[in-house]
Amino acid sequence: MIVAEGKPVEKILEMIAPYKKVLIAGCRGCVTVCLTGGEKEVGILASQIRMARSKDGNPIEVLEQTEERQCDAEYNAKFLENVGKVDAIMSLACGIGIQYLGEKYPLTPIYPGVNTLMLGANIDVGKWEERCFACGDCVLDKTGGICPIARCSKSLLNGPCGGSQNGKCEVSAPTKEDVSCGWQLIYDRLVALGQVDKLKEVIPAKNWLRAKGPRTYVREDLTLDRS
Amino acid sequence: MTKQITNIRIGIYLCDCDGKVSKKVDLQKAKTVIQSQADFDYIRATDVLCGKVEKEKIGAEIDKYSLNRLVIAACVDSFIMRQFLQLADEKGINRYNVEFVDLGAVDSTGAAVAAANNALGKMRLRAEIGYEELAVTPDVLVIGAGSEAAAAATTIAKSQPVVQIDNVGTRMIGLDGFPGAFTVRLLENGQAVKKDFGAIVLALGAVPQYDKSKYGGIELGADILSLSQFVNSGKDYAGKKVSFALGKADADSLLSFAAVLKAALGLKGKGASEVNVLYEDMKVCADDLEQDYELARKKGVNFLKYTGEFQIVRFPSGIAFKYREPFLSDPVKIVADYIVLAEEFVPAAATLELAEILDIRTGPGGFFQKDNVHFLPIKSNRAGIFFVGSCHGPIHGTDLYNEIEAVVAEVSAFAKGKVSVPSLQPKVEAEKCAVCLTCYRCCPHHAIEIVHGEAYNNMYNSAARMNPLACQRCGVCASECPGKAIQLPLYSDQEILVEVKQPARIVAYACENSGFLASEFAKTLDPELQKDVQIVEVPCSGKIDIIYLLKALENGADGVMLCVCHKENCKFVWGNNRAEQRKERAQKILNQIGLGERIDFVHVAANQGNQFNTAVKAMAEKIRQSGTNPGKVVK
Repeated sequence: MIVAEGKPVEKILEMIAPYKKVLIAGCRGCVTVCLTGGEKEVGILASQIRMARSKDGNPIEVLEQTEERQCDAEYNAKFLENVGKVDAIMSLACGIGIQYLGEKYPLTPIYPGVNTLMLGANIDVGKWEERCFACGDCVLDKTGGICPIARCSKSLLNGPCGGSQNGKCEVSAPTKEDVSCGWQLIYDRLVALGQVDKLKEVIPAKNWLRAKGPRTYVREDLTLDRS
Repeated sequence: MTKQITNIRIGIYLCDCDGKVSKKVDLQKAKTVIQSQADFDYIRATDVLCGKVEKEKIGAEIDKYSLNRLVIAACVDSFIMRQFLQLADEKGINRYNVEFVDLGAVDSTGAAVAAANNALGKMRLRAEIGYEELAVTPDVLVIGAGSEAAAAATTIAKSQPVVQIDNVGTRMIGLDGFPGAFTVRLLENGQAVKKDFGAIVLALGAVPQYDKSKYGGIELGADILSLSQFVNSGKDYAGKKVSFALGKADADSLLSFAAVLKAALGLKGKGASEVNVLYEDMKVCADDLEQDYELARKKGVNFLKYTGEFQIVRFPSGIAFKYREPFLSDPVKIVADYIVLAEEFVPAAATLELAEILDIRTGPGGFFQKDNVHFLPIKSNRAGIFFVGSCHGPIHGTDLYNEIEAVVAEVSAFAKGKVSVPSLQPKVEAEKCAVCLTCYRCCPHHAIEIVHGEAYNNMYNSAARMNPLACQRCGVCASECPGKAIQLPLYSDQEILVEVKQPARIVAYACENSGFLASEFAKTLDPELQKDVQIVEVPCSGKIDIIYLLKALENGADGVMLCVCHKENCKFVWGNNRAEQRKERAQKILNQIGLGERIDFVHVAANQGNQFNTAVKAMAEKIRQSGTNPGKVVK
């Protein structure tokens, strides 16, 4: 799932400062699941914006609408009526949704209400951890099903480095978070699987071009000829 | 299932209670104002509503005006409520469609109108509550090997089938499903099997354990026995001197005292030459203990009170207790052939493992159940899973039988293989459900499952569903849902937010188990203080959605209070913790936009009316310092 966090409200208020009527657009996809941009958060942000602008003697009208997914044009079409009523859109979808909704309504300015953080798993209520970098060239077969790109701070293909101490990565201290050493996790898993010999194989340098955008993906077998 | 709200016809009745209400409220004026403002189908004000003639008259009006929802504004008491609920039943009106407004508690015409309008607004928005017929398994699983489990199993077996396992030969390894339809995974002679049960009763008992550190390091031996060693020894003590010691390791338990009394009486019956019982505090607070104690004294058992530490001294011909008597200056020495030391009671070995498998909590001493004033003794945090006996703290005698009876009363609801329950569990709008598992994880009662099928109108063809028998209606799920897909019947967002559309200066969201009751008490202590306070009742503080806090302020309140149960004492396990987390975030949201301190979180018990008023005063002072809410949105 794509994981995002809400942007600081002062940034949001700055973005919409020139406007008198805005639409907060939520998404029922990943950002609902990661508790950042679903109908609930749309309501909370709308209320906060209304109160903030009221306080400043510059009232604003805030519309609220949440649809299935902002990364699909058909769902974005549902925003048409409300977009027609407002000066600007504040989207709480991920970076994909924000842009894609913006493309649908190119004459209405759109602003990001969230920072899109990572591709992560929901460890428990309110906790997310990165698992995938979308590098386009998966090596999980060689590393016991644990990704060295996403989970090693240096994205080393042949680790660990000297910064691995007692299973923790050296970045742990300054970030005040307990960051596990990705390569320790890989080693432990390979030991458990009886595949520790795999570590003798040097993983060659990666083709990072596949990790660099703009990327497209086309399935010729599925593309639809609408002519 | 919930039906769509169609063709709602509301009747509102205002009662003067034989002139009592009109001392403070101009009832005719109130009626006129309500008539001009609110949305209803019939209104009538009358002198006395609670009488046979009125009942017949209202019945006729219900027919004449096709009323299907009622708002009764009167001096509400249980008599009035019973009368109108009965009338509703007779007239085929769902009893959840009758709302009461207590005119006895308001002190002005304006307040009466506001309360009536509130009730009318809620009635208009209320979803129809249906009843669900559910097939259930009558069979009950009793887990435990001792006398407590046997007593529970025998008693329950009078009403329905019972399977008793000792959790040694046959062990529980997993549990799926809901009350009335649990699937228990068992390990039977090394084979994994699944069996269906409607309810589970834990009766593991407690285990006596000798801990020498409690006795200054005294080791057990041939003539120093633990109480359970003595009870199980089966030896002949005729002509012997036996001394028991109580209170060092078993301070909170009646069990050892009961066992010692029984043993002492037995010894006297079998010709022991001297029986002494050393005690620090006499514990006779159970039906038979006082009687046994009197009897033991009559038979010549010596009860000797000690204070502080005692010693066991050994000399060539035997052993002796050396202890201090509270009123004598010199130490006392009691010579004995055998010394018997009471043990402490600890949870049975399987307690922790079963707690994990069943996801139920353990509390003081590692026994089942948290120390929480709201938990009934036999109930776990999961419906359909019960405790009996010493597995939730050592108990004795009649307490055990009371618990067994209470459990029978609960599980016998499943004895007929079917139950009918009002469909009051939260409802999920599949279209909005992202199947994110937030509700599933936040439910303190394991009442939620994810179901799949064409009927669920979203991209996953799935949605969360709350089980009507497992759900305890705290509403935590509804407040946590990021998609606003969940609504708790009778407490939907609409029904709550309509109350704060034109809020008082202070809005207090109050848990019906604590804060709400405290507020009722507070009114009687300082009515004047309550004028600026609007109470919004919720079933648990875990139902106080963050948007409720913000909307009250957005709509013009100057301050918001959350009146919740004491820490660790939420009836629904962690509702008050969730509420506190939401309060923190809401206050942060206010700080970010410079609205100042306007939200107070108050732990208050039902009987703490004074504390409630103190909290109101503190809130008022906070508002005075922060000034009028500048965030109010003028519509």
